[in-house]
Order: sequence, then structure tokens, then C-alpha cells
Amino acid sequence: MYWLASGLLYRRVISPFHKLDPRVKLLISMEFFVLALVVSSVVAVSLIIVAIISVAAFARSLKRVGRTLVFSMVFAALILVFNLAFGLGVLKAVTFALRFIAIIGSTSIFFVTTSPDELEQIMKWMKIPRDIVFAFVTAVRFIPVVMLDAFQIMDAQKSRGLELERGGLFTRVRNLVPVLVPLVVNSVIRSGELAEAMESRGYGSTPRPTSLYGMALRWYDWLVLIVSFGLFVLALYIYHSYGLAY
Amino acid sequence: MTQIEFHDVSFVHQNGARALDGVSLSIEKDELVGVVGENGAGKTTLVRHINGLLKPATGDVRVGGVDTRDVSVAQLARSVGIAFQNPDHQLFSESVEREITFALRNFGFEESLIEKRLTWALQFFGLEPYRKSSPLILSGGEKKRLTMASILAWDPEIVVLDEPTVGQDALQKEKLVEIIKELHSSGKTIIVVSHDVEFLWSIQPRVLVMRQGRILDDGACSRVMLERDLLEGARVSQPQLVTIYNELRRKPERPFLDVLEARSWVTSGVRP
Amino acid sequence: MIADDPAQPLVHVEGLSFRYLEAERWALSEIDLEIRQGEIVVLAGQSGCGKSTLLRSINGLIPHLYPGEYRGRIVVDGKVVSETSMGALSQLVGFLFQNPENQIFMFSVERDVAFGLENLAIARGEMRRRVDEAMSLLGIEPLALRAPHELSDGQKQRVALAGIMAMRPKLIILDEPTSLLDPKTASDLVSLVHRLNREVGITFIIVEHRLELLTPIADRIVVMDGGKKVMDGKPEEVLADPRSSGFGISVPPVFRLYSQLKGDGVRLEKAPLTPEEMAEEVNAL
Repeated sequence: MYWLASGLLYRRVISPFHKLDPRVKLLISMEFFVLALVVSSVVAVSLIIVAIISVAAFARSLKRVGRTLVFSMVFAALILVFNLAFGLGVLKAVTFALRFIAIIGSTSIFFVTTSPDELEQIMKWMKIPRDIVFAFVTAVRFIPVVMLDAFQIMDAQKSRGLELERGGLFTRVRNLVPVLVPLVVNSVIRSGELAEAMESRGYGSTPRPTSLYGMALRWYDWLVLIVSFGLFVLALYIYHSYGLAY
Repeated sequence: MTQIEFHDVSFVHQNGARALDGVSLSIEKDELVGVVGENGAGKTTLVRHINGLLKPATGDVRVGGVDTRDVSVAQLARSVGIAFQNPDHQLFSESVEREITFALRNFGFEESLIEKRLTWALQFFGLEPYRKSSPLILSGGEKKRLTMASILAWDPEIVVLDEPTVGQDALQKEKLVEIIKELHSSGKTIIVVSHDVEFLWSIQPRVLVMRQGRILDDGACSRVMLERDLLEGARVSQPQLVTIYNELRRKPERPFLDVLEARSWVTSGVRP
Repeated sequence: MIADDPAQPLVHVEGLSFRYLEAERWALSEIDLEIRQGEIVVLAGQSGCGKSTLLRSINGLIPHLYPGEYRGRIVVDGKVVSETSMGALSQLVGFLFQNPENQIFMFSVERDVAFGLENLAIARGEMRRRVDEAMSLLGIEPLALRAPHELSDGQKQRVALAGIMAMRPKLIILDEPTSLLDPKTASDLVSLVHRLNREVGITFIIVEHRLELLTPIADRIVVMDGGKKVMDGKPEEVLADPRSSGFGISVPPVFRLYSQLKGDGVRLEKAPLTPEEMAEEVNAL
């Protein structure tokens, strides 16, 4: 579980890629995403995947992005089999499978290299309402706390004879109730306490709060932005003109 | 009979922190044991090894002669009841009575016995008026009593209480002292993990002082609590009566067990 | 607005009664209380006596977040609480809650310290200054970029306190701040409170069960029972008073011994606040 989740979670790493303005990182991810959707030849998609891996390496996040890619291969294999079963031809099926991997890879690049603070900045920039952004930020901040709560709750209930690993599907689901109820109740209690703390620090007293951090495009942001966009357009053009057969 | 044995146990957390470092100890049947130490010293980790929630990385833990790695947590839980610190991590049922009988049903007790144990638990912990109430509307103190009731319901021979006094006011703490004394005299092995040294002083258990995954000292409460430098090194505070005793020039034969003893000693000294 | 006049109390609770919506009994009944600037006041009493309700009335959560039947008034630094916005009140009264975890919102320490200032729309330059100042005061600069789940409970409380101090309040309320801490971390917190009181002049109201931790620094203890104020005086007076244990508060052994010795007619020079002082007194007999 942890292994899987870590493929999408942010980790504090220092790399030239991480230093980029989050909007540029988003743009690069989206460029990969769009390219993956547009091209439909095995070679092209493979090239995209190679490019994604290179960027991941550049961002010193190869392991993390790699994990997501490996995990997505499972689904990719399913897509392959599914498409073959529908008689789509090997080449097409492989393309679809690879495309899935590329799409997952492109989003992984963004989430692995963007901190929750930067995510918040981007959401504000997109003019998403403050309350929603705050709810998101707080939810992410409490993920490790909720996970820890869950383990402690499971320990407490196992100590009362609850066996989470036994039984058929129905029994197992029913056995989750003593774990889920306290989790939910704790979340409700937590929300109440957070509300008190928020009010006590003046949340909502002005419609336009300020921010300790801000985003500013620096020269290398512009450089990377222009270069990547140029490459993106170039790739599209080449693909369009030469229409690789496979 | 040695009920609980730790042989050179070490345990390391997922994040690499060493939680237990070569811990060896044995606890006999019917003992009353207190465990002190700062947060992170390893007290909760130690206690989780007793019912098999955690298995040692090196060394072994035996309960009633059985290695904890050879049996499941559910099996060990039949004889080891642990009441954890936070009631909100445990209470989930529609009613107090279903909460108390939860473990009994898990262990396969038969109906007549379940009813008997439920009645006992409700009465012993003063929860009869709340029998059909939802656990979630109880006060903090009542919730604590309910968690203890739901553990004691299945009558485990070994009872572990993890920080039972947190958030309790004076009256609730007094009640808790009575409960522990009564359970102990009914022949149970009781282990109390607590920061509250005044509370421990009033029950006078055998005391284990832990620091950084090791047991620094192990002995009678009235001796261990006198070791000021050791306790300070373990970041544990000293009961007030012990500090007073330590600073007195003219010392009584042994430290005061309670305020009344201190008072009679002082007054007899003043007017011999 | 009344200027900083040491003769005027900072907090004046006048005949305050409060009943939560849909509650049967009154949580607070005709409370009269004055707190002067620079005081450290401990609020004690058994569970359900109304301590938490009183605290929340002083910082404005009651009635702004918790409506109900409200009679009487509270004036803090010249402002009537029920008529002042939470935004304005948050710059006067800070509130440190019991659970260190559930009052930190942001992913990084310094962002959380800035939280209140962001809410007040303080300009970034000023915000940066105040954040750095607060972190330095609380000794948490090295933790500036850490995530909350990497911190110990004691550190989390310092972060929350820094966030409060950044808003430059005159009064800080602490609601059972040590109940989830181990004794040494708890006494570190108490030293911190004492330092902030002496160096910055912050007034403190603290609800606490473990009275022995606070008696060395408290100016006054106020005891509540059943929604009413029943005792109010210096720690040695209140704790040595035989009535206090009747109100369900944990009288530390030192005080129980002192009041019993007094009853026996044993003459001690002065009321001891710590076990060391008690031993000194007995040695001097």
C-alpha cells in the first residue's frame, strides 16, 4: 500500500526540475499528457515514455516515478489483453497499453515534484475558492495523521479479538466496521477542533487573505517554458508530417 | 510461574528508529507493575509485544510459556487485555452493552456467560445507567471506564493499562486507584504505563524505568522512585512526597506512602 | 477604546451566564471575574464545571461559533467580546488548544505560523518579519520547513504558540495544554509560559488538572463548580483551603500536607509551593 502511494506522493528533493515554478511543471506534465493522447504509434508513444523517464531522472525522482510506471504496467497489460480480445490487432493494442503508461507517467511527474504548498499556489492561481483550497490543503496535511490513527485503531480492535485477516469477503467487510467507525468519528471530532482553532486565528475575517509564499516566473522558468513548448510543438509537427506507421 | 518473559528483545520501527534495545525482564503471576519513561522511551512498544501486536526483531517474548510468534494476536488477547490510551480509537458500537460484549463475541463466549460478564462489567464500572446509550455521548471519564470495562469483560489474567489517568480529574483518579487495587487482589497481573508518578506512588507497584528502548531500573516503587538522578536522566518526575523525604535532614525509616503518614511523622517530631 | 491603563483589568467578566443551544442546564451562571494585565491565572475544577465554556467565552468562540443563550458581558481590553469580530479578537486573545495535532493546518511550520497573519491580510513583508520573530521567540527556527508529522508533541505546541504570538495578542488562553504531554515536556512548556509572561508581558489564563506544575508560576487560582466561580485567590490560599478538594481538584500532596499541618497547629514560616520548600520548612522546625 505504502509502496504504491509513494509513487504519487511528494518528497522533498533538491533538483533543478523541482526548482521550477509549479506552473511550468504543470505545463510540462500536460505537454506529455497531450502528446500521449494524440499520437497513435508504438514508436512515438515509446519515445514519449523515454522522454518522461529522462525528465524523471533529471528531477532525481526516477525511483518514485519508476514505481508508478511499474504499477501502471499491470493495468496496461489488462488493457492489452482486453483490446486483443476485441480483435484490435497487436500494434493498436500495444499502443493503447503504452499510452496508458505514458499518461500515468506524465501525471506522476507533476505530483512527485510538486509540494502541497505549490499545489495550493496553483489552485489559488486557478481562482479556485479559498475554502476549497483550504479543505484540500488540510486534508493532505492530515493524511499521515489519519494513517497513524488507522493503525492504532486496528491495534486496539485486534487486541479485543478482531481478526482482520480471516474469513470470506462478507466477513472481512463486516470486520472493517470497528475500524471505520472510530476513524470517521475521530475525523468528525478533529473537524470540530480544527474549526475552533481556525476561528481563533481569524479565518474568514477578510475575503482576500495574503500569502507567505508566492509564485514568480524567473528567467529559467521562462527559458524552460519556451523550450519545452517549442519541443512540444515540434514533436506534434514531426508526428503530423511524417505520420509514423507504427 | 513466570507469566511474561522478555529475553533480550530488540525491535526497530519501520522508519529505522530503535524502539527496544536488548530488553530482558520477567513478570510473575499476580504482580502489579508500573512502567515509566518519557514519550518515545519504548513503553508502548514494550506493551504491544505482550499481546503479540508486535513481534521482536531479535530475542523472544513468552506469555505463559508460549512464544508470541507462535500464536495469533486474537489467541494471546484471550489472556492479555490491553486498554489503550485513547478511547476514541476503540469505541464504535451502537450501545454500551454491545461495546462491552464485542470481545466476548469475538472470543466465542456462550450467551449465558456473555450476559453474566456484561452484568458484572456494568456494575463494577458504574455504567449500568448507560447500558443502552451510545458510547459516543459519554463524557471523557466515562469513556475511559467503558474501555476498561470492555477489556475486563472477558476476564483476562493479564491486564495492561496504557496511561489510564490522562484527562481524568481527581475523583476519577481516586476511583481508578480503587479499581486497580481490587483487580489486583482478585488475582490478576496488572501492568500500568503512566506518566503520573503521584498515581503510581499511591498504588506502589514494582517500577520499570525505561529510556531509549532500555530498562534503566527495575524494583520496588519505594526504592526506585528515590533515585533522583536516574529519574532525571530518564526525564521522569519524582512524587512530591519522595522529594520532601529526600530533602529532610532528619529522615524517617522509610519514605512516606501518603500524606497522612507524612503528617503524623512531622507532628510527632514537633511534639514528641 | 480604553488605553493601556494598568488600573483597568485586561479581562472583565460581568455577570456572565451561558446556556448552549438545546441544553437543559446553564453551563455558566453569573460569573464575575477580573484579570489584570501580566497575571498568570489558573482555572481549575472538575470535568463539566464550565471551565472550557468560560475560556471559549473570553476568546469569542462563544457566542460567535457556539450560539446559545448569553447573558451578561465580557470586556477584553476595552472591547465587548460578543460585539467584536473573531478577526479583531484573534489579535487580542490567543487560544492554545489541548491537542497539539489539531491546531496545525499547514504542511510546513513557517506556513502555519503565518496562518493567522494570512487570514488578517497582513502584507507579505510584515508577515515574514513577524513569522521570523515568533519562530525565534519560541526557538523553532531550525524547524521552519519541517512538516508537522515530523515533530514531537512539544514541538507542535511551540509551533502553535508561535502562530499565536505572531498575532501579537495581549492574552493567551491555554486549555489543558499538558494533558497529552509527558511531565518533562510539560514542565518545559510551563517554563516557556513563564518566560513569555516575564519577557513579553503576556497575560495567561490556563486550565489545568496538574496543578503542581503551575503553582510555582501562578498568580491566582480560580476554582469553578457547576458553572459558578467558587474560589479565587493566591495558590497557597486556595490549595491550602480544605474546601478545595471538595470541588474535585487535584490538590498536590505538598498542599494537602500543609493544610493538615496547619490544622494540627504546626507553625510553618510560609506556605510552601514546591516539595523542596516544604522540606525546608520542616527542617526549620
